[in-house]
This record gives sequence, C-alpha cells and structure tokens, in this order.
Amino acid sequence: MAAQRQASSASQTPHLSPAELSYLYTSLSLPGTPIRPDGRSPTQFRPLAAETDILPGTNGSARVGFADGTQAIVGVKAEVERTALGIQALSTAEQQDYAAAGNDDRGGGNNGGSKQGSVSGSGQGSWVQMAIEIPGFRDDDALPVFLAEMMREPLVESVSGGGEGGMVGGLKGRLVINRRWHWRLYIDVLLLSQPLSYPLPLLSLTTHLALLATKLPKLKSKGEEDPFFDDDWNAAEYLYPRVKSTKHSSIPGSISVHKVRPPVTLLVVSVAENIIFDPSREEIAVADAVLAISVTYDTDFDRLKLLSIRTIDPPSRLTQPGVPNSENVATLGSTTAAEESVIVNPSTGEEEVPGVWRPRRGGVKRATIAKMIKMVLEKGGVGEEVLDGLEGVEVG
Amino acid sequence: MTSSLPSLAIPGQRLGSVTTFTAGPGTHVHHSHVYASIAGPVFVDPAQPKSQAKSTISISRTARVKTTPSATAASKSKPKYNTLPGVDSVVLARVTRVQKRQATVSILVVLDESASSKALNPLQSASDNDNIESILSSAANPENHSSSDELRFQALIRKEDVRAVEKDRVVMDEMFRVGDIVRGTVISLGDQSFYYLTTARNDLGVVMARSEAGNMMFPVSWKEMRDPVTGAAEQRKVARPF
Amino acid sequence: MTDRRRINGPPGGTRPPIFASSLESTSDIVAERPQRQRQPNELRKIFLKTGLIPSASGSSYLEFEPSTSLSAARSKPKSVIPPSSSLKLACTVHGPKPLPRSATFSPNLVLTTHVKYAPFAGRRRKGHVRDASERDLGVHLETALRGAIVAERWPKSGLDITITILEAEDDRWWGDAPDSHDAAWGMMNVLAGCITAASAAISDARIDCLDLVAGGVAAVVADETAGRETTSQLMLDTDPADHRSILSACVVAYMPARDEITELWLKGDNSKSSVGTDNRGLGHEALIDGAVDAARGAHSVLAEAVRESAQRFAGLPSGDFT
Repeated sequence: MAAQRQASSASQTPHLSPAELSYLYTSLSLPGTPIRPDGRSPTQFRPLAAETDILPGTNGSARVGFADGTQAIVGVKAEVERTALGIQALSTAEQQDYAAAGNDDRGGGNNGGSKQGSVSGSGQGSWVQMAIEIPGFRDDDALPVFLAEMMREPLVESVSGGGEGGMVGGLKGRLVINRRWHWRLYIDVLLLSQPLSYPLPLLSLTTHLALLATKLPKLKSKGEEDPFFDDDWNAAEYLYPRVKSTKHSSIPGSISVHKVRPPVTLLVVSVAENIIFDPSREEIAVADAVLAISVTYDTDFDRLKLLSIRTIDPPSRLTQPGVPNSENVATLGSTTAAEESVIVNPSTGEEEVPGVWRPRRGGVKRATIAKMIKMVLEKGGVGEEVLDGLEGVEVG
Repeated sequence: MTSSLPSLAIPGQRLGSVTTFTAGPGTHVHHSHVYASIAGPVFVDPAQPKSQAKSTISISRTARVKTTPSATAASKSKPKYNTLPGVDSVVLARVTRVQKRQATVSILVVLDESASSKALNPLQSASDNDNIESILSSAANPENHSSSDELRFQALIRKEDVRAVEKDRVVMDEMFRVGDIVRGTVISLGDQSFYYLTTARNDLGVVMARSEAGNMMFPVSWKEMRDPVTGAAEQRKVARPF
Repeated sequence: MTDRRRINGPPGGTRPPIFASSLESTSDIVAERPQRQRQPNELRKIFLKTGLIPSASGSSYLEFEPSTSLSAARSKPKSVIPPSSSLKLACTVHGPKPLPRSATFSPNLVLTTHVKYAPFAGRRRKGHVRDASERDLGVHLETALRGAIVAERWPKSGLDITITILEAEDDRWWGDAPDSHDAAWGMMNVLAGCITAASAAISDARIDCLDLVAGGVAAVVADETAGRETTSQLMLDTDPADHRSILSACVVAYMPARDEITELWLKGDNSKSSVGTDNRGLGHEALIDGAVDAARGAHSVLAEAVRESAQRFAGLPSGDFT
C-alpha cells in the first residue's frame, strides 16, 4: 500500500468502476450545464463551518469543517530569530568599513550600504515554514510535501503594495523586525479526518483564516535595537493589518476590510468543455485536468492577482478502462460493432465508444488553462466570491 | 500517401490518416490521425487485396525485423502493444518454489508466438534478455538466481494446469523441481503479483533440468528425464523436445 | 545528529577570502554579476544524448550550455573562485518491471520518479536523503510524464525514473549569498531539464508515449542595469545567476504535436511588472506562452536526440530518413 501511495503521489486512486466513471463524466461534460453528483452549480462551493482563535497557545488559529465531515485545524506560531546576514550583505558591509576608513571612494560604500538595506528589507521565503499532517500519510510522503510547498509558495511570493495599512514586501516584508532580527512563522496544518476528497481547498481556506487571525506582539523597541515587545496581548497587532473603520461593513465584500489578504488556493478541474470549482472526490476522479490556482487580493489595482499555478496529476489517468460490449466476452455477439459507433471526443481527440470509460491521457490545452484562470481572476468571479466569503468569518 | 511515410519515426510524429491506415503496435490514434508512440523503423503491412481491411501501420520494437513481417502479422488477431507477457504468449520461466498445490516460477523470456519455432526472438525490452543463451545455461544452477528474480515477473503454475489428463493425480514434486526451466503459456494476467501459466500441452513443460547430482538431464519420455552420468531417472512434466 | 567531537565546517559551504586590495573598486563586486548576453528569446544550447547507461533500459544525459558570461569569466578570471558551468543531469529508466509485492493490481503502467541532487550539485551540500524540494520536483516530474505515456499498454508493471542532478542552477554566482534569491528559481530550470531528459530516456526505453514532452522556462525579470530605471522583461530560459531579481517564472511540460501542456508550474508575483500593464492580468498568459516557446526549442533538440538513438538502434546509417 505504501508503494502504491507513493506512486500515485498527489492524487488518490478512486475506487469507482468504469461504468460509474463514465456516467459521472458524461453528466459533468454536458455542454454548458454540468450535472454534479451533489447538485451544485459549477462554481458553487461546499458549505463549511469555520471558527478562528480556537487554540490559546498559538499566535493565530482556525478550524474549518466541511459538511462531509472533514475538518482541519491550523495553528500559526511566531518566533523571533536573528537574521543571518547574506554573504553579499556581509561583504558589502566590510567594504563599507573599508570605504569608511578612507581607503576608497565613498560612492561605492554608499552604494553597498543601500544594497544591503534592500537585501535585509525584503525578507526571505525560508522564514515561513509549513508542515502538513494528514492521517495515514507519513511526513515525507509525496502528498503532504507537495501540498505544503503548494501552499507556502503563494504566501512567500506575494509582494503586495504598501500604502496605508499595507504590507511593504508582502508577508516576507512584514516579518522583518529590523536588520538583525526577524520573525519566523511556523504554520502547522492538521487534517483531522481521513482525506475524503483532495484536501487542498480545505487546508488552504483554514490556513487563510488562521493567518487572518494571527497577531504578533506589539514592538516597543525602535530601529536597530534588540527587539522587545509589549506584554499586553490586547495591544498585539495583526499579522495582516486591517483597516479599522470598515471593519463592520454590513455588506461583506463591498469594502475590503483588509488591505492585504493572505492568498487562497483554489482547486479547479476541467471536464470536457466545463470548468468546475471545488470538486468532490468523485468529480476529480473523472477530471481531464486539475489545477491549483493561488490568488490574492491586490490593493494596488483593486482586483485579484495570480500568485501561482500548479497542475495536479488527475487520478483519471490511473483508472481502469471499460470494455465495450463488442469486445466483451460476456456479451459477445449481443451487439454488433456497428451498433457502437466510435466517435471522436472533441475535447480529447481520442476515439471512444460513448458510455465506455477510457482513462484520460495527454495534457491540457492552453485555451482551457486560460479559461480556468480567467474564471478565477475576473471581477465578480469565483476568486472574489471566495475571498469575500472568508472575510465574512468573524475573526478575533 | 504511402510515399510520404518516413522510414524512421519518433514519438508524436504523424504517420497518416485513419482513413487509409489502421494503427498497429507502436502507434496511437489522435484526432483521426495515426501517430507514432515509440521511436523506431516504420513498417506498413499491406492489406489483403480482396478484404476491406486497411493497411496496418506499425513501428517495430526490434531492430532486425526486416524479414517479411506481413506474413505473421496477418494471422494475429490482436496487435501486441508491449513486450510484457500477455494472454497466450509462450514464455520460458524458471521454477523458484514448488508447493503442494502450485509451483512458483519467474518469467525469463517472452517468446514471440510467431517465431517460437524459429530462433528465440528476444522481445522483452529488459536488457538482461539480450543474451538468452547465457540466461538459460546459467538458469538451472540454483545458486545464482536469487538476485535478479525481484526484477522478473512472477507466475504460478497451479496443480490443475500442469497437464491435460489425470489432473487430480498430479503430484507437484514429480512435475517440477526448483531451478528447472519450463516452457508454458500464459492463461491469465492474474492478480497483482502473479501471472498464471499452464503447461497442459505436449510441447509445454520442463525443457531443461539438472539432476540431483547436478548434471544436465535429457528427456526420455513425457514424464521422465535421465542423468547421462549417473544414469538415474527423475520424474518431470517434460516438454516435447521438437 | 551533529558531530560533537569534531569542529565541522559551516554547513553552507565556505568561500575563499577576498582581500579588498585585490578589488579594483568596491563597486566591482556588484558589477561583476554576469550579465545575460543572449537575446530575451534566445535559449541556451542543450546537449542531450540517450543510451549512455547500459544496465538501464533507457537513459539520457542532459547538459546546458554555460552562459557566455560565465565562459568569458573562465577565460580571464577576475577572482580565484572558478565560475561554475550550468545544469547537468543524468536520467535512467528501469522497467517495465513487476510491481512490488505490496502494491495493488494496476491496469496501467505505474510511474515512480526520483529526483535527487548530487551532494555536490549546489553550493550548499545536499544530504543523501531526499529533502522536500527534491520530493516536490519528483511530483512535478511525475505529473509531466504521466500525461505523456500511454499507460494502459503496460498493465501490471512499473517504471522507475531516476534523475541525478550533477550540477544545479541555484546560487551559482559566487557573489550571491546562498538563498539570496527569494525563491529557488533554479528549481524551475532543473525541472525543465528533468522533463526533457526523462522524455528522451523513456523513448530510449521504448515505452509508448503520445509525444515527446519537452520542458521550457520563461520568467519575468527586473534587471537593474546601470543608470537606468528598473525595467521588467519577459525572458526565455533564464539563468538565475544572470539576474538579480526574478519576479515570476513559469515552467511547462509541453507536447508540440498535440499542443497540450501536461505540467504547468507558475509562481511569482508579476502584477507590478510592466509586461502585462497594457492588458492587466494577462501577464501570466505571456509567461505561459513564453515557456511554451522555450519548450518548443527544447523539443527540437529532443527530437534530434531521439531520432539519433532510433537510428543507432535500428542500425540505419545516420541521415537516412525522409
């Protein structure tokens, strides 16, 4: 079993018969109006219950439960750590000393100094650590590692704009205390139940909420002093700063409460011509392509921006093929080959008999990828809807 | 159309339309065109003039099949896409374990069914099959087979599949011994770990065996082999030698 | 597990001392960063050869041409630290072979990918146990290849693909601090190389594929050229050593005959860059298209290498094909 799990990596092999797969595929690929097993619309998400600040020992935490019983808990802890200066920064500092000693022209020294400032001001991606615990998987199995990288990536990539209440340099920039000290952020994700479907949306939403609820103690020291902090937890500041005046807006989403929000990773699948969001396990099982798209809200141009995309191996490639009646020994002779005319599936270009499942093969067209991204990013699209919905969760 | 066919194809190369060709081994169909799936020389098997069938286009896995491939291909009902043992393929296997109800063997070579009477044709792509002679001559030596068996496909010969007659009187110990080389045909792909073989035909059974004294034995009847040095006879399910 | 009895060297590797007197001016250290000599859409040359490892059923070796700036630095070195060359990796394919006993029945070929950096591949020594980034690369590679192979033709069997990276792409310019790039952009080049090499090796093993799948990288870089405003630009096949700041990058695994992408990995925040400003939010499309163009370039090399290997296999004289 372990070897099989390793082999099927990011995806779990579904336990559905070829006939079931074919039925699912056919109903999901109906042009324009896919019929989903649970009756949702293509862009509708599963209902979920969420709460934040549930773990007193953390800087921020959240719990999200899907209606199917899967639950996840995320705890965020922060530690102060000494910044290891990069070699270049060190050497430029050395040069600065030499320059200051009057050995050389001052211009070079100043140049080096400013460079050093920019290096330490940007923060490093390695300051954010993420660990995912999924029951039944070892820490170093492919799935938890892949998921953790997938969710950490957009977090550290985001370099959002400054402005009032903004975060210069994104999350990485926020973690800088001064040139010699920084925060290190540990994000620990626990999936409490067996993963019934691909757990990415659940884990991503929970992490998002936990980060929204994360507070860091208020800094009392100034500048390059060794940092010391305010004891009063009530004075602590949110990791993702928020604008107070609009906090209780009656229409959620009309005004953004946060200038900068943590990214959200959405799972999108394509089945024939249809794009489906938040797929259940059965829907992923027949998908032609699975994409994890991470977006966040950009304060600068008031719309969503894309942070990362990863393809996920669709489990449909590993499924068992169905046998057409004309080839089936059990029904031999009951149907002639002419009855089962072979048609070309317009989306995959494969020849197949209608109603007979064939494992997917090949990749995904660029147009399909573009369509998926557009549906996530466009104004009033799914991405905004999700972020607004999460904003509605009472934090703190 | 045929004139534009390349002599050598690489995967993903378009070879022709499905209206003119049928996709054979080493090719696949996409958007009504036949594409190559492996790299190698392209062969076209012309259709019989009287039948409605289209010519079959295929890419050879082996380098030296320049000899008339059409004669054998026409008799085949199903194209063979891979070099793995399939149902009905004839294999040579070495006995690794003999139990009361079954014998475990590991498949050494998958023989080309068309060429089984001729020289042994190395079909399996694993490189250790390139020197069949060395595999077989070393095979009956029980000491040196432990290392590579992990990399070979395992198969079972059940008691019922050993011979066609008197199935209920079969005693496995009198049919096979560990280290024997057996020719058999695959009857099923079986479960996750074993193929199922049968030797219930005159031309199937033990082809090479060593006696208890360690000498190579020669067959004397369909159920007996003899050691040329000691003269001792041992019981086996022997394959007809020719 | 640290060795307490000895005094060990720093884990990040060491660098020889550079004396200030040996530097002509202190600004040199910044100016010495290699500059990209290629056009934005010009790719590095690729060396690719198959069938080098006789015990494997398929194998390949891939090497990128060293950046011209690096080779220039080699011919007249300015510092004692030798400039490194560029990506080198070897790929082996073992199989089709039986699945392990513990595995369940599979009607398809089961693919297993291992990507491993050699301990000396980068400036920072890699341990012998695969770390998170190596496992991550393995999953990416598996996704890229599984879309390309025709798995149902090889029931009940497994295929092991092992890639050893002999020389990686990150932290190659000695003046960069380890991990000074805010992300491991070199990983993307490594993945593209892995995809191309693995495709050649699979073809060498004669496993059915829909098409040769080639990897390509494109990135949006913000270069600060002296005296000019920072501009961002779309570039193909970026060498992380050449650029101080890469905003976003994308790697694809692309099958040209079908115009399909089997693996897409895009990361980075290019919302600030000028590439997409005329049409906001379309930066990612330019990036993906750029990566596909790079993959097309790699595919031409891949196709030649595979054709060469097929000719060798078929015993045809080279050049005898139409």
